[in-house]
Amino acid sequence: METGPPPNKSEESEKKKSPFRILAPVHSLLAGWTGLALWLLLLLLLALYPYTGVSSAALLVGSQIFVLVTLASNWNLIGGMTGYVDFGHAVFFGIGAYIMGILVTGSPLLISPEWGFWQALPASGVAAALFALLVGLPTLRLKGPYFSIAMLGTLVAMREIARVLRPITGGGVGFNLPPVLNRVGDYYLMLAVMGLVVSLIWWIQRSEFGQSLIAIREDEIGAEMRGINTTLHKIAAFMIAAFFTGIVGGFWAWQNTFIDPDIVFVEARTVEMVMMSMLGGLGTVWGPPLGAVVIYFLQDFLWGSLFGVHLLALGLLLVLIVLFMPEGILGTLGDRSSTSLGRLLSRVGRSK
Amino acid sequence: MDQLSQALVSGLLLGGFYAVMVLGFSVIWGVMGVINLAHGEFLMIGAYMAWGLFRLFGMDPFASLVLILPLMFLLGYLLQIVLINRIVERPHLMSLLVTFGVSIALANLFKILFTSDPRNVAVAYNGSLQLAGITFPIVKTIIFGAALVIMTGLHLFLQRTRLGKSIRAAAQNKTAARIVGVDINNVYAITAGICIALTAAAGAMLSPTQAIFPFMGPPFTLKAVTITALGGLGRIPGALMGGMVLGVTEIFVATYVEGIGTNLGVATSFVLLVLILVVRPQGLMGGLRPIDAEAE
Repeated sequence: METGPPPNKSEESEKKKSPFRILAPVHSLLAGWTGLALWLLLLLLLALYPYTGVSSAALLVGSQIFVLVTLASNWNLIGGMTGYVDFGHAVFFGIGAYIMGILVTGSPLLISPEWGFWQALPASGVAAALFALLVGLPTLRLKGPYFSIAMLGTLVAMREIARVLRPITGGGVGFNLPPVLNRVGDYYLMLAVMGLVVSLIWWIQRSEFGQSLIAIREDEIGAEMRGINTTLHKIAAFMIAAFFTGIVGGFWAWQNTFIDPDIVFVEARTVEMVMMSMLGGLGTVWGPPLGAVVIYFLQDFLWGSLFGVHLLALGLLLVLIVLFMPEGILGTLGDRSSTSLGRLLSRVGRSK
Repeated sequence: MDQLSQALVSGLLLGGFYAVMVLGFSVIWGVMGVINLAHGEFLMIGAYMAWGLFRLFGMDPFASLVLILPLMFLLGYLLQIVLINRIVERPHLMSLLVTFGVSIALANLFKILFTSDPRNVAVAYNGSLQLAGITFPIVKTIIFGAALVIMTGLHLFLQRTRLGKSIRAAAQNKTAARIVGVDINNVYAITAGICIALTAAAGAMLSPTQAIFPFMGPPFTLKAVTITALGGLGRIPGALMGGMVLGVTEIFVATYVEGIGTNLGVATSFVLLVLILVVRPQGLMGGLRPIDAEAE
């Protein structure tokens, strides 16, 4: 008999059990430079796409997919890589949307002169990151489900506060942004943000910073013992994820031209982020983008335009994914232990 | 002084409702370690059932409990067998995600069925009594009384009956309970049935006092977490105490924060929750389960 450590053996047998692991041989390549090269190539192709004479509807679809990919990747940074499953991440989206709305309209705070889009967009991100700092300092000290619930509480509480602070947010009725239609501009902007975010996550995963995040996820006390400043790492990851979510929120408000508390601070958007990440493979670089694309087309083809039914299906799909495919597409096709939930599942039943 | 005693009374009455509202949540968490994020949605379902029975047959919301309790027991029992028993032994994250998904699905299912228009149940006795210069809203006072009855009943059930003892045994030590012949899956399903029936009952009783709409659930779920953190897991006196603290705090914020206080219920309980968990991760009264992330 070999004298390998037992966990390896169980992983081996796990691999043999599944007939679908077609990605297993290339898996390690994807995490490395090959993956990045393919990604950059894809970005280049997407950048050329508008020159093929496509309709503006196709460009809208493009920018919507880029938004979802960005959101999923961002959520994955804190929820997958760091293991702090954030049920309230949509709060940063909402903050970004509100900052954008308030700055570019000048009302209801009567800011004059109004800010331009390009000044307001970074401000959305910065505001969301600062809010993450404020909220993260207490909540990131909470463990496991307590963090998840505290963040869900942040989201619901912010919705309530946005409704109440009428002088700043316009209250429950919300407000309109100036309609500016620029499909090509939107497309390239979100392509750039998505490219930046996913590349950043690729880099983080290879860096010492990312390895520290994974160490925190796997064993926070152990990581602290090894001299990792866990608080600093968690806050940094949280703020990065919040920053880009805020940017996306700001962009979304600009594109949607209307915001109110119920459409920006909404749990369903969090569910979307969680589900896209899980479907692709929690804690991997390429899983969440893949999941986002799959979810987008599923929504498009299966559920049509009925918004209510679409959310019902979203909830049910989350349940199904957790029950039947917790390791996601990448975990099922490739290396199970590369996804955080796959690792968790192979390590524990439930210790109690 | 008058304002103070009125706020105190209103807070305690609200606290009585919170105590009965939290029971189902707290017992499910205590017995099987599942944090039920769909808690508020079961409350919402109860409220809609009371509304439907009131609308169709003119049935009083308190009388409709006779129908709502068994129906929701059945729903809870089936949901546990079909869904939750499959993941109850797995990492916390999975039950958290599943119940989160269930909550979104249920809220949107009810939105499709009944639209998001607010509904209300206008009972004839929706007035209030004056006693020693203090206003007692009649419905809320009845809820308070019913809450005490339900809590006593649940307490006696858990302490005295054989089934109640099996439930407590399963909560304390699953393996040992299994060894002495407790059918854990069945006990879990019965527990879930009871808890969800109680939650729906709370929603039905609430129906005369506030608007019913599909997305009313999440604030109640969050308040349930806060109360559980205040009062401890699966403990009935703790639920009463925690409910009272939250109720009084909420009414005080509403009374003394000018203008906007009434609508800050969730924000209040969120601040309370984070404060408690940061200062005392085991909960104010102790006894919150250590989370499996630690034990893994």
